[in-house]
Order: sequence, then structure tokens, then C-alpha cells
Amino acid sequence: MVITAELLTKIRLFGLLSPRTQRSIAEKAVLVQHPAHVDLYQQGDPPTALYILQSGQVKLYRQSKDKCQILALPTAGDCLGAESLPTGATSPYTATTITPVSAVMLPPDVLQSLMDEHSDFQEIFLRLLTERLKQFVTLVHDLAFRDVTSRLAMVLVARAESEGHLAAEGILFDRLLSQQEFADMVGTAREVVYRTFKHFEEDGLVQMTRESIIICDLNTLRRIAFQETR
Amino acid sequence: MVDRAPVRTSDLREIPAFHSLPDAQVSSVAALMVRRHFAPGQIIFMEGDKSGAMWFVFSGRVKIIKQSLNGRIQGLCLMDRGKCFGGCSLFDMDHNPATAQALTEVTLFILPEQAVGQMGENDPNLVKVLLHIYSQRLEHLARVSEVLGSWTVADRINDCLLTYINRSVQPPVVDLTHEKLASLSGTVREVVTRHLSLLEKEGVVHNTSGHIIILNPDALLPPCAAESR
Repeated sequence: MVITAELLTKIRLFGLLSPRTQRSIAEKAVLVQHPAHVDLYQQGDPPTALYILQSGQVKLYRQSKDKCQILALPTAGDCLGAESLPTGATSPYTATTITPVSAVMLPPDVLQSLMDEHSDFQEIFLRLLTERLKQFVTLVHDLAFRDVTSRLAMVLVARAESEGHLAAEGILFDRLLSQQEFADMVGTAREVVYRTFKHFEEDGLVQMTRESIIICDLNTLRRIAFQETR
Repeated sequence: MVDRAPVRTSDLREIPAFHSLPDAQVSSVAALMVRRHFAPGQIIFMEGDKSGAMWFVFSGRVKIIKQSLNGRIQGLCLMDRGKCFGGCSLFDMDHNPATAQALTEVTLFILPEQAVGQMGENDPNLVKVLLHIYSQRLEHLARVSEVLGSWTVADRINDCLLTYINRSVQPPVVDLTHEKLASLSGTVREVVTRHLSLLEKEGVVHNTSGHIIILNPDALLPPCAAESR
């Protein structure tokens, strides 16, 4: 598939670029496709490419030995990668596909030349960094001030709002993550996540199957999510 | 307190984010900056405020903190000479996501929002400076998230001791109170005091009033920290 300037106008933020910058990006960008469970880049890699997800889902995480912290779950329309390009430092986290993914990719050398030649692209890249920064500030706040129950509720509410669709019993979305991955997102052990999900089910807030999650009472779950318990 | 003394180009050259800027541009940025002093404990800006400026630390130490609705304080980081904070409201963030407070006597150079906006449009080099600052901050927050989410409290306290160690004196020291150490490592003062007593018994640190002497820094390295440091 050829990347056109028209395709770029449909991507959030990239639509704000001048037609000249969009044409320049369209000439140099590459469309890539990856299966599930593939690393797009790893923590410690030199500055990486910028990926603009067209479909599929990715997890961003930091790992040291057996400990893992999932930082974000970018989905279609989101951008990831190249965060360390301005400093030349290594990548601060790993990006692994959860599902098959297609993405518009801008390799580091292309990104650098786009930034040197197009000041509007520089400003869009700054905005992308700002958005990720904002997301991490929220994550730090949640990890510091909310308990596991609130943090798990927060993850479920966020996913229901971004990926869910209405079903007979409530808001349904694909499960996608294992219990270990839910634990890695909320910073706890798998057993604690298992117990918390059990409580949510007993209280009639969620229904779980192997493939999907149904949020039966979004309002109560939202109330739990926004409690600051510490 | 505002200081009427102008910010000199040579002062600004000492801040890493400006290292790659040509002299003429450093001079024009310096001309737009204001110098301010803060006393220890003084609030520079509050979480939720619209700060409208970027703040550069010329001397002293600033702590960046977040506070929960229940009053618990979580330290995010300490900013010392050459570091930059604030500026979040310039790009999409309507309010400061955290509070900045002077930890010691502090001198800051302030670049007002209006000046940043004007220069950003005309001066790609300044945007490069901002990209550098934001990229560093992102890396730092990714690390803070990992530490808060997956490390034990003992690992977090040890990591804070190593992060804020002053190796210019022998033996090295950490000039933080137990309260501040607790805030930075996401726990309460009692837990820090208990952990430091344990480390003292093991001969790793020596607690004195006001600072902690580090006798064996290697013993503080958590197993999972070695590869990420």
C-alpha cells in the first residue's frame, strides 16, 4: 500500500502539517506489518523509528530481570517510538505487538531530516512527546496514590471507553491481556489481580471469559477507579 | 524574589540543553529570561496552576512533587543545577501536573511562555532545546513508573540513596531527611527509618542528624537496578 499525503491528513496531529510537509513524509515513510508478539524495539536500543499505528495494539514496558512494568497500550491512531531521538540516548522501554499490527514507520534518519527541514513537523513531534509525558505523569500518580483495586478498575474503565462496544450485558471489549499482563500494568502480582477480578465479578461489575471482558456497571467501576486510597 | 541582574550568556551556556545553540541565539534567549531567587521550602508553582514558563535551575535544588487528595506526597524527582522543569502548559497541558518547591536556596532562570511561543515559531533550534528537555523527562518518568510499579520498598529506598548520593565528599553522603527520602521512594517516614536502621546494623550506612553517610554503596544496588542504572 502506498502512503499518500491524503492518508496522513487522516492521522491525528499529522493533519495539522502543511501540504508540503505531508508530501515529504509520504515520500519517505514506509508501511510495515508485524505479527503478534514481536518486538518493534527494545529497551536499551539506540534511538528508534517513529511508528504511527494504523491497526492492532502494542504494549510499551520496562523490564529488569523478572520484573516488568507495562507503561502504555498504544492502539490504532497512536504514535510510539523515537522518544530518545532528541537526546541520542537509548530507548527507555520495549515495544511489543500484542496483536498483528500495521503501522506507518519513519526511520530515525528520516525523522531527523524531517525535523531539520520542516519546523511544523518538529512541533508535532514535540506534541507527541508531550502526550506521552502526560500519560506517564498520570501513571506515576496512579501507582503512587491508588491501590491495586483502583488501578485495575482504572485500566478496565480506560479500555471500555477506548475499545468497548455496547452488548446486551454491558460494554464488551477483547480481553487481549493475560492476568500476568494485567498485573504488570497495575504493578502487582498475578494472584492479586486474580483475586481482584473475582471480587469485581462477585459484585456484578464485570464478566470475564477467555476472549473478552464485559463491563456490567461502568459507573461503579469508575467510582472505584478514581478513589485515592493512599 | 525577582533579581534585576540580567541573565548572562555565559550563565546560560552552563545549562546542557543550550549547549548546541549558536552564541547569537543563546544571547537572545538570555535577554528574554528573568532571574528569581527562592528560599528553602518556598513553593515555586503548585500542581494544577498554569505556570506559563520554563524554569531552569542555575543553583540550588528543587523538588518536584505530587500530592494525593488524602494529603500523601510523592516526590517525582530533584532538579539541580542545569535541569529544566515546568513549561507543560505551553503544549497541550492546561495545568502543571506537579508542584515545584525549593529544597535549598535556589536561583532560577525563567523563560516566559510568551517568549517561548514566539521563539518556537521562528526558531527551530529552540524547539530542539525543548525536544531535548522533554525527551529526558520522558525517560525519567518511565523509570519512576517502573520503580513504583515493580520494585520493593527496600529497593526503592536504596535506589533513592544511590540517585541522590553526593560522592564529592568521602565517605559519600545523602543530604535528605527520612521524610524526604520517604516521599521520593513512595513510602512513609517510619518505613524509611526502619530500613535505614537495618542498613546501619549491616554496616551499609551510618545515620547522623540531617544526612546519611554511605559506607558501602555497592550493597545498595538492588539486583534489578544494576542493569537499568
